[in-house]
Parts: sequence; C-alpha cells; structure tokens
Amino acid sequence: MKKTLLSFLSSLKLTIALLIIIAVASILGTVIPQQYGGGEAFRHLSPGLVKAFRSLQLFDMYHSVWFIILMGLLSLNLITCSLNRFPTSWKLFKKIPSLDRGKPFEKLSPDRILVIEGKPHEVIGRGENLLKKRYKRVRKKDTANSTVFYGEKGTYSHFGVYVIHLSILIIIAGAIISSLLGFNAYVNIAEGESTNTVYLGRQKGIKKLDFTVRCDKFSIALYKNGMPKEYRSNLSFLKDNNVIFQGPLLVNHPITVNGIRFYQASYGTIPGDQVYLTIKKGNDEEIIRKVRLKDSFYLKEKNAKLTILRIEENLMSMGPAVLINIQSPEGTMRFWAFEHIEKIKDRIPGLFKKVPKFNPGLFKPYYFTLNRIEKKYYTGLQLSRDPGVSTVAIGSFFIIIGFFITFFSSHKRLWVRVDEQEGKSRISVAATSNKDPVGLKREIEHLLRHFSYMRG
Amino acid sequence: MIINTTILGWVTFIYFGSAIFYIFRMVTGREFWGPFASIIAFTGLIAQTVGLILRWFESYKMGIGHAPLSNLYESLIFFSWTIVLLYLIIEWRIKSRNLGAFVIPFAFLSMAYASFSPNVNSRIQPLIPALQSNWLISHVITCFFGYAAFTIACGLGFMYLLKGLGKDEDTRPFFRFLPGREIVDELIYHSIVIGFIFLTLGIITGSVWAYSAWGSYWSWDPKETWSLVTWFIYAAMLHSRFVRGWRGKRMAIMSLIGFASVLFTYFGVNYLPGLHSYF
Ligand code: HEM
Repeated sequence: MKKTLLSFLSSLKLTIALLIIIAVASILGTVIPQQYGGGEAFRHLSPGLVKAFRSLQLFDMYHSVWFIILMGLLSLNLITCSLNRFPTSWKLFKKIPSLDRGKPFEKLSPDRILVIEGKPHEVIGRGENLLKKRYKRVRKKDTANSTVFYGEKGTYSHFGVYVIHLSILIIIAGAIISSLLGFNAYVNIAEGESTNTVYLGRQKGIKKLDFTVRCDKFSIALYKNGMPKEYRSNLSFLKDNNVIFQGPLLVNHPITVNGIRFYQASYGTIPGDQVYLTIKKGNDEEIIRKVRLKDSFYLKEKNAKLTILRIEENLMSMGPAVLINIQSPEGTMRFWAFEHIEKIKDRIPGLFKKVPKFNPGLFKPYYFTLNRIEKKYYTGLQLSRDPGVSTVAIGSFFIIIGFFITFFSSHKRLWVRVDEQEGKSRISVAATSNKDPVGLKREIEHLLRHFSYMRG
Repeated sequence: MIINTTILGWVTFIYFGSAIFYIFRMVTGREFWGPFASIIAFTGLIAQTVGLILRWFESYKMGIGHAPLSNLYESLIFFSWTIVLLYLIIEWRIKSRNLGAFVIPFAFLSMAYASFSPNVNSRIQPLIPALQSNWLISHVITCFFGYAAFTIACGLGFMYLLKGLGKDEDTRPFFRFLPGREIVDELIYHSIVIGFIFLTLGIITGSVWAYSAWGSYWSWDPKETWSLVTWFIYAAMLHSRFVRGWRGKRMAIMSLIGFASVLFTYFGVNYLPGLHSYF
C-alpha cells in the first residue's frame, strides 16, 4: 500500500496528469476574469452560477486552495521522483567497469580499429598521456597479450535532470516566499503632498510605512506625435523630517528605499487650488484672472473685495464651480461661478429665479464665469517588497545550467585496447554513451585521429 | 522614409517564390529546383536583414530610435526572419532541402500577414515608457527564436504524418523526398529542445522585465499564463520521450499541438480580457 502510493506519487503519469490539469485550469483563468475584473463578469452570469464560481474560488483561481494543492502535488511528485531515481544515477556515476572483459570489443566495426607503426610497449606510454589529457578516471590494465585503457567523460550528465528538477522546486519555493512574506500596494500622491499610508493590493487593507513619501513633481514628456515618452515623478523619502532619499522615478526604473521597491504605475489629475476666473464688466473686454483658493483681489471701481471660498470639481452634477465671496460697501454676497453656465442655463430654464446664488451676474455690472480650475497631477505608485525574487532568480539560473547538462552533455565511456599485430600496434576503440550517439561517433573519430598521428 | 517597408514588402514575395520552388521540387521529385529554392530563400534573408537594419536606422533618424522589435508588425517580420535563419542553418547542417516545403511557407505567411493585413500597422512608432527596456529586447529575441524552433518542429511533424500516408519505401515523386522516419523524429526532438530552451529563456527575461516595470515577476496575465501552458505541453512531450520512450507519430502530433499553443500565446491572447491596464 505504502509502496504503491509512493510509486504513484513519483510516477510520470502523475506528472503528465498534473501538467494537463494545471494547464487547463490556467487556461480557464485566462477566460474567467480574475480578481479586479471579476465584478464585470457577475452581470453576465446567473446569481447561482456566481455563487458556485465564488465557492470554487474561480475568480481568484491562481491563489485558490485547490490550485495551491495542485502545485504542491507537482512539487511532491518532483521530490519523490528525484529521491527515487537518485541512487541509480549515483551508481551510474560511480561505477567503473572492470577492464579485463573483452565484451566491449566484441563485434567492433572495422573503422574503430587502427594499426600504427611501433610496438605496443612504445605506444602505450603516449597513449596513456593522450587519454589522460582528454578523459577522467583513466584506468589501465595489462592482460596477457594486450593493454586495455578505460576513460570517461561527462559523468556529470546523469545529474542534469536533478539540477532541472531542483531548480523548479527552488522557483516554486521562491514563489511561496514571495506570496507569504511579500506584499504589493499602491498609493496616489498629489504633487506637493506626502503620505506614509499605502493600500494593499491582494491582501486588502492599509499599511503604514516607517517613512514618508513626498511627490515633489510629476511630469509627462511627449513625442512629437503625442504619444507618451516619459512619466517622471520626483520623489522625496523622509524619515523624522530628514530626507533619506531623493530622486526621479521612471517607468522601468524602480527606486528601492528601505527594502521596498517603488514603481511608476499610473497618474492622474485632481483639482488644484488655483482657478482662472473670466470677468466681464458691462460691454468691456473679458479679462481672465488667476486666483488662489482663499486669496482675494479688489474690483477697484466698486471698491469690492473678491475672495474664492471653495473650489468644486463637480457641483451638484453641473460641472466645475467656485464659490465667490464679495465684500463691498453695498454689503456681502456669495454666489457660485460655473464653468459651463451657458449649458446649465439652457437645460434649466428660470434657474436664476429659483436659485439666485447661481447667477453669475449677481454683482452688477460684473459677470463671473469660471474659466478653468488649474489641475494638478497626482502620481500613482506601485510598491512591493518581494523577498522571494532572489530565490526565483537562482532557480532560473540553474534551470538553464540544468538544460545544458541534460541536453548537451552525455556520459561517454571509452575502452581502448592496444595489442600487437605483425610487429605493429593495433588500437581498438569501443565506446558507449547514455545519449547522443552522434556525439559519441565524433568522439571516437577524434580519438582515432589522434592515435593515427602517434608513432612509436 | 518608408524604404524599409518597401524592402520588407518584397521579401514577402521572395519567400513566396522560395516556398513555391521548395514545394515544386517536392511534388515533381526533382532536385533540379532545389538550389533555386535555397538561393531565393537566402536572398530573402539578406534582404530582410537589410530591411530590418534600415528600419532601425530610420527610427534613429526620426529621433525615436529603438530596435525594430516593438509592435505586431515588427514582431511578425522578426518571427519570419528567425524561421528562415534557423531553417537555412538546418538545411546547411543536414544537407537536405526536404524540410523547406514545410517551413518556408510559415515564413511567407508571417510576412504576408505583416505586410497585407489592415490590422497591422507598419509605421515606425515611438516606444511608450513601459517598453523602454533592454530586458524587453532580450525577451522578444529569445521568445521568437523559441517560436521559430517550434515552427520548424511543427513543419517536421507535418512531414512525419505525411510520410505515414505513403509506404516505407515509397518512390512516388512526392514521397521520395521525405526523409526516413527516425531522422525526422530525431530532428523533431532537437527542434523541441532548442525551442524549449529559448522559451524558458523568454519566460525568464519576460519576468525580469515585468519585475522592473511593474514590480511583480509573475502576475498570471493571459500572455504569461499561455506561455506557461505552452511550456507545460513541451515539458510533457519531452518527458514522454525521456521516460516513456515515445517516438514518431505521437511526437509528431504533439509538435502540432504544441505549435497551436504557441500560436495562441502569440495571437489568440489578444482576444482575451487583459488585466494589465498600465500605460
Ligand atoms: C514541470 C515540472 C516537472 C515535473 C513535475 C517533472 C517530473 C518528472 C518525473 C516525475 C520524472 C521521473 C519519472 C520516472 O522516474 O519515472 C521526470 C524525469 C525527467 N525529467 Fe522532469 N519534471 C518536470 C520538469 C522537467 C523539465 C523542465 C525538464 C527538462 C526538459 C525535465 C527533464 C526530465 C528528464 C530528463 C527526466 C529523466 C528522464 C530519464 O532519464 O529517464 N523535467 N520528471
């Protein structure tokens, strides 16, 4: 029972089955919107189905319990398989065949036999040197009428598989470290503002950093055709009011502060605290004036003081507006100046009668409209700390090494027999390899060529 | 200004001509046509290389210099370039033109899609910030060499299955030029190995790029997921060969399945809902 479970766990059948199941599940995950998109899909599905999908965690499949179990099984499969096979590989690696058997030389094809000038005893010394240069663990054995050498190459090729499989386990381990110990968060910071509170992505909730991030400036550079060329946030990182780091953050060039990496992820605009007012007096030319929130200026002719009290991006769904306060000898009045007053007037007839406070001409003979609110940028930062990255990187590096060992090396064993034939030396080369027959043939030809240059 | 697209447009026809010659050679069973096919393919490769380099230069002249690997048009061109390059290397190494009829048409199709589809914009566009990364360049190069190797495996798979329609020692014109089964099988295996290594490198370099651009080396977006699925398919294929000793027809069929997955990773993913809504 134990045995069959183990052989099932280490079997290739399980591997293939798992690979197929994980592949199918992953494909499903690309069709069913995950996480953020899930909300969109709800509208197309019946409530029962949504409930079923939810309980199967289909909207966050790659982090669901069953997906993790599948990955766990895959790892277990890799581990048990590797443990199972390793002793065999180790034996193959260690084993040096006995040299006095004639078996390797039975049925040797004639092109693997070479006859050269010189008696065997003259040839053997050099032959040994030649072999020692090219091969490892060279052994020599003299028999009654011949000398046999053994040498080998690429013994490590038996371990390529383990390097690959271990690398995969390392990568999986790295991914686990990432998801358990790492975090992902985002935060929007307006120009000139700072914060130390960021919003967690997957884990939800907020996180307090032990330093403060300030966005000094955000800027966009454009190409001639209007496509974005560069997004740049000038950031300052402060701790106890001391700047610990300052620098520009660009896409593809993250900044790391106290082990947390910052990425330029998005941007946007919010109303700033400056507005442009269009002022028209009677039939005069319009003038445009820049005013800051809470600041005032004087309308000299009427000896009046105008102050901006509030800035609204969208007042009662009627668009941008500012609240104006006017203090004059006639008294104090307050009213709203809209940006799109003409449109609002057309849509709501008799508006000014109903709501005098919306009348832009309330303070005669002036007529105030909002030209525009000066926007200011905010930068959208993505933050992450990912202690699993180096582990994943190590695994990735070794998997490539493992590929080269597995695919491009082979364990070649060569037997070379030197005996005498009509006063000359006859050299026979036999060889085996665990894979790559073509490479083996080349190896033998190469060796024979070297022997043919040799004279006694 | 658009001399590169003109040249690349010609290359489409050159590869078409080459494919015709390879197929003609196959169907008539006369080697006579072979050298024409090879020379035309080689000419096409040179012209295409020149076209790509010119495009690179032109982008610098426009002040938006970048390697011509940044949009669908450029990737299709590069895809066909890698196919023809790998194919010609193989043709030279194995000294046989038999595979040409099964591979060069793919290079032609990729060029034709790039040149004639209304959905593919051939203008040189500047790079948006997210694409300004050397990792992206290594990512594209490794991926497309992988895709090209898988394309060749797929051509070989077709060849193997066609061979199955004839008798073992078929001397009819068409079948005469199909190489022996073991050779095709061996070639499929080698192409898959090359493709698999490049695909793995492609996934790794892509992750490095994602990590430097978005802060997460793996986020299960459809393209990533499909490349992993493709990786699984070829891994399963290699295992069934290593451990079970699967050969021949099964490998040929799996090379077609794998290629279908490659195509979906390349094109199909665009029809799925994407999650990345960055710049
Ligand atoms: C996706 C994760 C992988 C899993 C779960 C996995 C699993 C397995 C298992 C269970 C075996 C042994 C079967 C047996 O001993 O009967 C095996 C063998 C092997 N695997 Fe993997 N493997 C994975 C990835 C890879 C990759 C990427 C490669 C490289 C292409 C690879 C190359 C090999 C080789 C060469 C063998 C041994 C073949 C032999 O010597 O007989 N494996 N694998």
